Amino acid sequence: MAVPVLMPRQGQSVETCILGQWYKTVGEEVSVGDILFSYETDKASFEEEAKEDGVLLATFFNEGDEVPVLVNVAVIGKKGESIDEFSPGTTLTEDKPEVKVADEAPKVIEFEVEIDPTDMRIRISPLAKNMAEKKGVDIQTLKGSGPHGRIIARDIENAEKIVEQPKVSIAQKSIAPSAPSIVLESGDDFEIKSIPNIRKLIANAMHLSLQNSAQLTHHLSADARQLQRLRKKFKAEFAEGKIKQNITINDLVCFAVIRALEKFPQVNTHYHGDKMKWFNKVHLGLAVDTERGLMVPTLKNADDLSINGLSSQLKELSTAARNGNVNPDLLNPAAATFTVSNLGNYGVEMFTPVINLPQTAILGVCAIIPRPKEIEEGVYGFVPMIGLCSHTIIRRWMAEKQHFSCRNPQPDRKSSV
Amino acid sequence: MPKVQYINPDQVRKPSQLEFKPIPVNQYNKTIEEEKENFSKEDFLRIFHDMVVIREFETMLNLIKIRGEYNEVKYDHPGPAHLSIGQEAAAVGMAYTLDVEDFIFGSHRSHGEILAKGLSAIDKLSDEQLETIMETHFDGITLAPVKAGHTGTTKELAIKFLLYGTLAEIFARETGFNKGLGGSMHAFFTPFGVYPNNAIVGGSGDISVGAALYKKVNRKPGIVVANIGDASMACGPVWEGLAFATMDQFTELWEGDMKGGLPLIVNIMNNQYGMGGQTCGETMGYSIAARIGAGVNRDQMHAERVDGYNPLAVIDAYKRKKKILEEKRGPVLLDVLTYRYSGHSPSDASSYRSKEEVEAWEKQDSIVWFGSELVRTGIAKKEDLEKIKNDIIEIITSSLKLAIDDEVSPHMDMKKHPNLIGDMMFSNKSMDKMEDRPVEVNHPMEENPRVKQLETKERFAFDENGKPHSKIKTYALRDGIFEAIVDRFYKDPTLIAYGEENRDWGGAFAVYRGLTEALPYHRLFNSPISEASIVGTAIGYAMCGGRVVPEIMYCDFLGRAGDEVFNQLPKWQAMSGNVLKMPVVIRVSVGSKYGAQHSQDWTALAAHIPGLKVVFPVTPYDAKGLMNSALQGTDPVIFFESQRVYDIGEMFHKEGVPAEYYEIPMGEPDIKREGTDITILTVGATLYRALDAAKILEEKYNFSAEVIDARSLVPFNYDLVIESVKKTGRIIISGDASGRGSFLRDLASNITELAFDYLDAPPVVVGSRNWITPAYELEDSFFPQAQWFIDAIHERIVPLEGHVSENDFTEAEQLDRNARGI
Repeated sequence: MAVPVLMPRQGQSVETCILGQWYKTVGEEVSVGDILFSYETDKASFEEEAKEDGVLLATFFNEGDEVPVLVNVAVIGKKGESIDEFSPGTTLTEDKPEVKVADEAPKVIEFEVEIDPTDMRIRISPLAKNMAEKKGVDIQTLKGSGPHGRIIARDIENAEKIVEQPKVSIAQKSIAPSAPSIVLESGDDFEIKSIPNIRKLIANAMHLSLQNSAQLTHHLSADARQLQRLRKKFKAEFAEGKIKQNITINDLVCFAVIRALEKFPQVNTHYHGDKMKWFNKVHLGLAVDTERGLMVPTLKNADDLSINGLSSQLKELSTAARNGNVNPDLLNPAAATFTVSNLGNYGVEMFTPVINLPQTAILGVCAIIPRPKEIEEGVYGFVPMIGLCSHTIIRRWMAEKQHFSCRNPQPDRKSSV
Repeated sequence: MPKVQYINPDQVRKPSQLEFKPIPVNQYNKTIEEEKENFSKEDFLRIFHDMVVIREFETMLNLIKIRGEYNEVKYDHPGPAHLSIGQEAAAVGMAYTLDVEDFIFGSHRSHGEILAKGLSAIDKLSDEQLETIMETHFDGITLAPVKAGHTGTTKELAIKFLLYGTLAEIFARETGFNKGLGGSMHAFFTPFGVYPNNAIVGGSGDISVGAALYKKVNRKPGIVVANIGDASMACGPVWEGLAFATMDQFTELWEGDMKGGLPLIVNIMNNQYGMGGQTCGETMGYSIAARIGAGVNRDQMHAERVDGYNPLAVIDAYKRKKKILEEKRGPVLLDVLTYRYSGHSPSDASSYRSKEEVEAWEKQDSIVWFGSELVRTGIAKKEDLEKIKNDIIEIITSSLKLAIDDEVSPHMDMKKHPNLIGDMMFSNKSMDKMEDRPVEVNHPMEENPRVKQLETKERFAFDENGKPHSKIKTYALRDGIFEAIVDRFYKDPTLIAYGEENRDWGGAFAVYRGLTEALPYHRLFNSPISEASIVGTAIGYAMCGGRVVPEIMYCDFLGRAGDEVFNQLPKWQAMSGNVLKMPVVIRVSVGSKYGAQHSQDWTALAAHIPGLKVVFPVTPYDAKGLMNSALQGTDPVIFFESQRVYDIGEMFHKEGVPAEYYEIPMGEPDIKREGTDITILTVGATLYRALDAAKILEEKYNFSAEVIDARSLVPFNYDLVIESVKKTGRIIISGDASGRGSFLRDLASNITELAFDYLDAPPVVVGSRNWITPAYELEDSFFPQAQWFIDAIHERIVPLEGHVSENDFTEAEQLDRNARGI
């Protein structure tokens, strides 16, 4: 008996996924555990494994299609079995109105127009098309390097190299990277490259944020001596095996931020136009730079954690984000109440973090730089200072910053793990 | 211009005046009584008989056309029928004295002439000869229907054969004289000396001159009669034919027994109308067509007007004129006055002439008059004539019945044999010579100065170190063409060559240098500057059995021979049902540097016309090999040459150009440079610019181009190109022809269809611009240049890293140029 393959639902908020690439073609034998296809939510990319042995009888969507979750995307069964009943367009009860299909269709088109404003028709040379079929290269995800973005033979050759890579990563049970950027056009002094879907989404979110809220950035620095002392201490303890967690500067900064947020709940809020949503708990968003782009997974109830717990969970979270297998619900900007974006380890001295709406503020953390400071009256010395950029839509957070800088983290309070 | 003829200024600048001899008009004045000494009763009755045959045949066709019925036999004939009712005396008079080996050429209105000449030949041929002719024509296919049930004499059978063969041809039956492929306006039967009639007005005006040339050059017995209408005397090719036929050199320069005029009678069948235009008084100015003779040569072409309503007057004229031709004082112009009662065609309402006029001519009807004279002079009784008429009606009725019977006279079965006509387009024979007899040459080939000179030349362009030999030492493309042609002159006694400046000068591009020394005048001579006659005479020459190489000095002049190249040369092999062969190799030189009317590549025009083989070699090795093939074959070949490369050496065939004979089959392209990333297919001398481009692509872009030289256009074997495209996935097609409508486009379209699945980009055509060819200084912006290839690749096929285009090959530009028609 043939069984359908559903488009999985990755998290409550996910309604549709983009079908990435078919690794199996219709008519091919599949075994349990074989990768059938990859798919993308707005933040992450996944692979779906076969849950049945058999033959891939049919696929209902093409690469690049937007597919509603829990809809049949394929059928696995024995050769010759009917697949009609599984086709998402048709149902067993014939009287189901076709209008529904029609309703869905424009939605797909709308989406594609939004994410890919270029010609929807794929331009591909006959040779490239044949090569793609033979080599199993997904042309939907390719951007052609030929005239007018036509996919030509060399694009398939390049893509084939990339197709081979995921096979390695499949073996490692890791996530497939999103499509590489492809040169769309090149002049004598430039190249126009494609942007992966996720980067487009990030760019759009950033742009929307800046467009839809009045933002304000303050740059200041705080004495980091205490921070460095603590880091040194934890490092030594970690090396000695006293603690299991290598607690980083970032962990300490986050810890301090959580403490500050408890004091200044007005920035632990969401902005809903005419209303504010105040939170009793701190759900900390941590900006993580991944190969796929910037991701901000949320650490729920961060205020409940000790410095060790916080460190451990932040590490877990950022690893998941980098691997792309973080729960999409945690990537929703509404999941966090406040975000920390730390570029200190890149040596960044000053930047403008963009608020992850509907959150009302974000803290950018910069590198620790020795700066002149009056150590005691009339005595000046170089002091390591950590740069902080707070970006807020609430004027009053100015006070909080001052507080932060004065206080510096006192993690001892909950450091007994 | 030959050196032996000294143009003396003292002589030519002297005052004098031209005097014309009187041109006789209707001077024949003998009575039947007086002619009794020249004609027997049988002769008189035969003349009457032949005229009645024509009258009844044409009347039958007229009735079939306008009523769909003749003598209770119903038939619908959708094809043409240009009838000559009223012109019978002219036709019979013309044919009466002609021998079997005398050839007639005709017009669209020539049923009467076919029948008259056929009947004349039947009268002169023995029964054995007739049987052989009838049995062997298409293995007796035409004879079979009339032979079944025939009880009379062989001559009576031959008459039935003639009527049936002609009628079946008119009705497009496979049993017709030309398998139904010629039809009413092109029917002919060479064994009776009936050569092609021609649906193009004046079409026979130059072809017949070539036939006369063939008879003269090959010492064949007989004369040639060009039956053309009075209105065709307005056509350029007719005048060109007259100019060619009356060249002084025949009497001034041709040597020995070749000295003397052509055995040709230009017989104007003057029915006084060209369709509806009245040639005397309206559309022409000669008033009496015989006047034309006065303007053509010193002999005034022995021009004369003859009363074509009296068969005896015409016969008299032919007796006298044939004598002139025997004395090698031809050609002759006859203006045979006649009149057609029938319209131009059955759809003609005769709105251009009065009823009174037609009735007045009918009152003087030649058949009625001649019959009554025969009765009056006691040569025949009325009943005899009635019997002749009734017998003819019977034969024609039975011929009609046979010719329309689909069982007996089927049309070609194109469903069963879809390529039947296709297979007739070319004769595809391989013949060393068209006739086996000694060749006429001035010295053994090895003594020829050019041949000796070529022995010292380097047959490969480069020495062992890859350095090019000096130009003077290099065996060039022009030498390759020369070697093939001189070789054939020593093989085929029928081969002749002519064109503008071919003798003495050796051709404008020195291809024939040395040939003058080797050949007598009649095998190599200068033609008038008259392309229609250069090609037209070649057609007539080949049609009669000779091989010929006419030359068109610049491709741009092909238009001057438009009818000959497009309507005549390619058509006659198939239109004859493969009875005729057409071994004509037209050398056409494609120019450059000389601007808009001397630099055009018109290969597409030639390739477009079915029935022509078209080649364009641009290396010495290919030129010699393809010329050998062209000359060995029996088909018309348009042999394009490029003035850019006459002096180029052989750069590809490492062993050099062989001194011995070899053939390169027509239709096979050749890889001149191997590569893997793109195929460049070129037609003509563009090859060398494509090779330059390939070098740049290799060195600058690490992009490997395979360059294929098409060499031939028709036929063209795509296999090699398709294989190359399978390898490279990309192709540019280039040549010097203006891109629009070029053969390059045809290649591109076929390659797209044949190799679609292997293409990584659409085939891109890089042709010349659709402009006038500008001056030499601006040619780089007109003809494809090396840079154009790279730009086209970058823009349309595969963007090349770091390349910046100099020329606009974008789609927008292509759209715009097309929209603007440039």
